[in-house]
Amino acid sequence: MAYQLYRNTTLGNSLQESLDELIQTQQITPQLALQVLLQFDKAINTALANRVRNRVNFKGSLNTYRFCDNVWTFVLNDVEFREVTDLVKVDKVKIVACDGKSRLFFFSLSLRPFSLHLQTDSVRTRSHTSLSKYKTKSMTISHTVV
Amino acid sequence: MASSANSNQVPKLYRSVIEDVINEVRELFLDEGVDEQVLMELKTLWENKLMQSKAVEGFNTEEQAALQAAAQQQAQQAQQATQQAQTQQVLLPPQQQAPQQQVIVQDPKILQHMSATGMNAATTAATLALPTGISPYQQLITSQGQILQVLRAANGTQYIIQPQQQMVLQQQVLPQMQPGGGQAPVIQQVRPITQVLAPLQGGLPQVLAPLQGGLPQQTGVIIQPQQVILTGNKVQQNAQVMQMTGQPGQVQQIQQQVQQVQQVQGGAAPGGPQQQQQIQQQVQQVQQVQGGAAPGVPQQQQQPPMMLQVDGAGDTSSEDEDEEEEYDEEEDEEKEKDGEDGQVEEEPLNSEDDVSDEEDQELFDTENVVVCQYDKIHRSKNKWKFHLKDGIMNLNGRDYVFSKAIGDAEW
Repeated sequence: MAYQLYRNTTLGNSLQESLDELIQTQQITPQLALQVLLQFDKAINTALANRVRNRVNFKGSLNTYRFCDNVWTFVLNDVEFREVTDLVKVDKVKIVACDGKSRLFFFSLSLRPFSLHLQTDSVRTRSHTSLSKYKTKSMTISHTVV
Repeated sequence: MASSANSNQVPKLYRSVIEDVINEVRELFLDEGVDEQVLMELKTLWENKLMQSKAVEGFNTEEQAALQAAAQQQAQQAQQATQQAQTQQVLLPPQQQAPQQQVIVQDPKILQHMSATGMNAATTAATLALPTGISPYQQLITSQGQILQVLRAANGTQYIIQPQQQMVLQQQVLPQMQPGGGQAPVIQQVRPITQVLAPLQGGLPQVLAPLQGGLPQQTGVIIQPQQVILTGNKVQQNAQVMQMTGQPGQVQQIQQQVQQVQQVQGGAAPGGPQQQQQIQQQVQQVQQVQGGAAPGVPQQQQQPPMMLQVDGAGDTSSEDEDEEEEYDEEEDEEKEKDGEDGQVEEEPLNSEDDVSDEEDQELFDTENVVVCQYDKIHRSKNKWKFHLKDGIMNLNGRDYVFSKAIGDAEW
């Protein structure tokens, strides 16, 4: 399973809304919609990893930072995003970043309320973290979503 | 373009993602027994939403872009053609087509209403006797979108057409429409028009017939479908008005007309809504003239059932009219009270101690968001460094993507 992180993007939201409409008109089942979204997760993750090849720099001031469940959330102010070609300035930006290294099963934080109400099975994640300080060898993180 | 690199990339990327998802999901759809049609519908909905969001540069599909452009052009052409066609139909039976079309097409929105509501039979008759002396027919504003017209009847009475009030969609046959035929024949041929109108529009002319029952002469009951549509909106707004305009029998019929008009609304003139909006604005302008010219009785009765709007485009309270404002004043007073703030007591103590920003600041339209993955997050004292990858950004309403992003920030 790939990160569901990208569901809250223009692309992802428009897909979810479209699926919502089809569910309301009972043209598809919620289960099928969920499958579509899972497929979307895979596709977008693959596409970003393979088909995008550009670099961006940014600079600003950090307003808040949060690290929870291995997800970083930042709020920056007065940020400049710089690409080779152009520059974009924003007063405020929120950055949500999942761990890019180890593949964790993770449900994205919803920045906007999902209109799809899905029943999902519980998922357990396991991460092995070595904290020599505390001499802990493994840590299990379990997430249950109902 | 400076942003060409990324903005070239994004539509293609999205396109490819959509294609991938749809193709992968096709099998799932078939397994569930869902028709391919639904899959296509999903794709269409998805793409349309993307286009509507304007987050992606240009149209998601060039084909769709071409289609939309073509559709818009066709719609405009169809609209113009429909207008002309309708005017032709209406005036076919009695009149020569050419001159009439010219007159009507020029002012497709001209609505002439007999103020049947405000005028008794006698007055109406006099007004209807216009044809004989209707040459001084003038339109106060003939430019597109202006409805107000001043008719000088044979007896010299100036009759101002007030589209808002009158739900009776009567249109006087414009003698002007017959440049060569003179005015006399107009009247004679008017009656057949009304009869001809019956088949044209379902129940509308039928409804009109009894209205005209008491009128000796009818210069014209031409209902142009466009105008019917145009008044449809006003009809809705002034449905209550009609209730107040005396003649109950006519009123009911007028209401029926309204409903039928509304039905016609939906069917015709795609450009109707725009016209309707313009007409609504004109209606307000017309109201200003109402006080002076037309009989004031029906006007006074307009206000009570309507909710008074004290702001915005539909504001009627500020217009100078001789209407009775008994109800208006009451409603005005009530609304003025809302502006007073009861914040005499500020939150006592500790109210200024809070430093943190309200998280409610996130209630704006475009929240600039970046969803991505982090490679490394580093901090040294208050200097933070971000190494991010595979991200989608929505900044200032636009979408961007990156494979790598490096950032610095000071906390």
